[in-house]
Amino acid sequence: MLNIIACFKWVIDEADIKVDKGSRRLILDRVSYKISAYDRNAIEEAARLQERHGGSVAAVTVAPPTAKQCLKDALSRGPDKAYFVNDPSFADIEPSQTASLLAAAITSRIEFDLIICGEGSSDLYAQQVGPALAERLGIPCATYVNKLTYVESERLVIADRKLEDGTETVSVPLPALVTILPDTNTPRIPTLKQVLGAAKKPIENIPLDALGQTYAPRLQTLDTLAATMDRRRLKFGPDPEGIRSVIGALMKEGVIA
Amino acid sequence: MDFKLSEEHQLIRTSVREFCQKYVEPAADEIDQQARFPEDIVKRLAQQDWLGIPFPEDYGGAGSDYLSYIIVVEELSRACATTGFTLECHTSLACYPLFKFGTEEQKKRYLLPLCKGEILGSFALTEPGAGTDAGAATTTAVLDGNQYVLNGSKIFISNAPVAGVLIIFAMTDKSKGTKGISAFIVPGKTPGLTIGKHLDKMGIRGSLTAEVFLKDCRIPKENLLGQEGQGFRIAMMTLDGGRIGIAAQALGIAQAALDESVRYSKERVQFGKPISTFQAIQWMIADMATAVEASRFLTYHAAWCYDQGLPYSKEAAMAKLFASETAVYQTNRAVQIHGGIGYIKGHKVERLYRDAKITEIYEGTSEVMRMVISGNVLR
Amino acid sequence: MPGIWVFGERRDQTLELLNAGKNAAKALETRLVAFTRERPSAEEFIAYGADEVLVLPQLAEDQPLESYVPVLAETARHEDPDVFFIAATARGKEIAARLATRLETGLCSGCSGFGFDQEKKLLRMERMVFGGAAMQSLICTTRPQIATIPPRTFEPAAVQTGRKGTVRELQSTPSSAVKVIKRSPKAKEAVNITEAKIVVCVGRGMNNKEDVDLARQLADVLGGEVGCTRPIAEELHWLPEEVYLGISGKKVKPDLYIGLGVSGQIQHVTGIRDSKVLLAVNRDENAPIFEAADYGIVGDLYQVVPKLIEELKTALKV
Repeated sequence: MLNIIACFKWVIDEADIKVDKGSRRLILDRVSYKISAYDRNAIEEAARLQERHGGSVAAVTVAPPTAKQCLKDALSRGPDKAYFVNDPSFADIEPSQTASLLAAAITSRIEFDLIICGEGSSDLYAQQVGPALAERLGIPCATYVNKLTYVESERLVIADRKLEDGTETVSVPLPALVTILPDTNTPRIPTLKQVLGAAKKPIENIPLDALGQTYAPRLQTLDTLAATMDRRRLKFGPDPEGIRSVIGALMKEGVIA
Repeated sequence: MDFKLSEEHQLIRTSVREFCQKYVEPAADEIDQQARFPEDIVKRLAQQDWLGIPFPEDYGGAGSDYLSYIIVVEELSRACATTGFTLECHTSLACYPLFKFGTEEQKKRYLLPLCKGEILGSFALTEPGAGTDAGAATTTAVLDGNQYVLNGSKIFISNAPVAGVLIIFAMTDKSKGTKGISAFIVPGKTPGLTIGKHLDKMGIRGSLTAEVFLKDCRIPKENLLGQEGQGFRIAMMTLDGGRIGIAAQALGIAQAALDESVRYSKERVQFGKPISTFQAIQWMIADMATAVEASRFLTYHAAWCYDQGLPYSKEAAMAKLFASETAVYQTNRAVQIHGGIGYIKGHKVERLYRDAKITEIYEGTSEVMRMVISGNVLR
Repeated sequence: MPGIWVFGERRDQTLELLNAGKNAAKALETRLVAFTRERPSAEEFIAYGADEVLVLPQLAEDQPLESYVPVLAETARHEDPDVFFIAATARGKEIAARLATRLETGLCSGCSGFGFDQEKKLLRMERMVFGGAAMQSLICTTRPQIATIPPRTFEPAAVQTGRKGTVRELQSTPSSAVKVIKRSPKAKEAVNITEAKIVVCVGRGMNNKEDVDLARQLADVLGGEVGCTRPIAEELHWLPEEVYLGISGKKVKPDLYIGLGVSGQIQHVTGIRDSKVLLAVNRDENAPIFEAADYGIVGDLYQVVPKLIEELKTALKV
């Protein structure tokens, strides 16, 4: 039996981002949102562990109230219950605040053996919340995991961490937190019954004042501008002349010799 | 009046899009060019609970509403009109008449496996001499003891080669004209039932369309669907609902044409500028987007009427008429926007252009739609 | 004692951070401090620019690198550094996030460059967001200002003869509830794609695994290496993961990048955008790669590449 928490973030679909060419400002007024890709893997992993070992899966998110629809989305992917830590000020928070908010909500309300997070979110990709949350809760963590096994008899998980120098297999006593990589699993596409079933699952609303604290940011964003890349953008045909022109240009640039 | 889709409907749409991106888009070209029936995709449609969407869970369905079903058809058709249509034909033309007119026994026996996706369904009304004039059917069904004996032939029957069950319409009493037609449930492997070869079509090429031959095909008399003489009414009611499905299919095709045209016109540079900066293209896109939006609202409204238990025959006809004519016209515009490349196989708009045409023809031609609408309006 | 601290998982990463740190130390008028796990390398780090080297205690066989978190936290509370640069390896990123939490300070992850506000003694840091589509500039208002810096963002520091500095052995004990039970090193890479001066990249436009050989032939003529986009490595397994280029793969800065059948998704382009010259071959003239390229050949790569190889052999007199 495992009581699992899967944390997820509701992020802008980067395909919808438009750019004002002159100022390089991002135009976000018509963007759609989705559950961050690696968090889907986290939810999927939690669902699989529950199917295998029994227990429960709670999906938890920190978001502004306008993100409400993320809850049914998450619930259609396996969890039994969702927790919605919400406040309008959460539209622009930084990882340290998210970790503190998650910690406060979890400590006050949710029993758990294991917390699963994605390795990072597809919008900011700071890769901080997982380990920061573990620190706040005073529990051990294993990051960049692509294989997770629960050893019931010893109340621990064995995790394969995929690191630059190879795989590091670690044992982590529960309660613990892991952050997982996208190659850990392939998230299921919710079936219609799962989508309809999401409406019947409980959602607990946790407003900011219920947590009794404020969480000040430590970083200050000066601006966020579209990345530029100034390239020549010259095009040639596949005919022999075109190819020779390209080769000539490359030689002139000194990149081939 | 709430024009916003519920969270469930939005989630259903998102899940179909994920599915299409993963399984349907990568195969759509090949399905079209090889005229390959997407058997693997159909199996997955069953796993997603999509082959009996608006039917109760007791009968193997998902217990959802018609609008959910329409959204699924739209999104599947946006990726691949063949896939969208295969699901639509199965759901609206085969499952629906069983649900509406079948006995408990018939529903348990045939509707359950259909909705669960264990078998596919087919609807055989059209004959070489009876298209729009469905009443001119010459296929006969004669009661002989405990069985009906069917003789005749049907043409342009979708899903027939892979159907586990077909709803076949035949004359039980020639003297009564349309009131002499009855509907029958015929399992796919019944002796005396032969399916002709797969017809090579302009569009929806992966959908299996064939002739159906009945030669002393014997079925138990319990396989009569509804009453004798009720067949024409069953067919017409079935097609009413099916029209909303075809409207959704046409909507999906037109939306895809719009998506492709928007993307292409921003990327294609001529005279030093993307062609999306030229007014000629901008106006084409404006017209296309407006027409697609109108198709969407007509289609969703018809589905809403169905779900509310309100009359929907006129609304369904309007939706199909408008959405199909939009699909045909706008896929033509989409090819025009693409220029030469839009004429080349392997480019999505070339396939969309060919796929669109059938939506003006099957499940009731545009001419029949106009008859239905004027009949309603001028009453 | 204030200072710019640097911690790299490997020696070469520490040298890069010493380079990054030296300008920060100058701007903030403070010292540069490096961590090492091996006492013998302390003097080396001093020669490369450190004013002080702190020697970390040895880890037990079953202790992961992150066991240093309590040691680093305790030392930081004691010494009060201004800035802490940590190499953004997987372990480094975990260490940084946990450290920032313990020290109740902010962390800029994946910092790709920085400037200074000399007056406020703050770093103005830059990092990529939205899959590489945008650049976020930020400052950290708490102390220490912590940033993880990806390997190879900075060149390694230059050695300076005659430098003096201090070495101190840290006494605190590393600890971790997490135990390492096995280490499976990656098979030694035959190729380090990040060092290659010329990279030929295989994209989805290639039809078969066998066609990767075409890319290899082109690379051989040019004396370059073969890389690929993420799907080629992670989904199709035509090439090993070590050579996939992109935001979650390797970032390369070759003199010449040639993309064959590469469409140019932002996640891939982010890994190659610092190439000196970018050449793309793709049959789709609208492929986004052409926006990111200096030279583009629009055509079927199966026709173009053999011709390119032939013409190159003539031009380079191979």
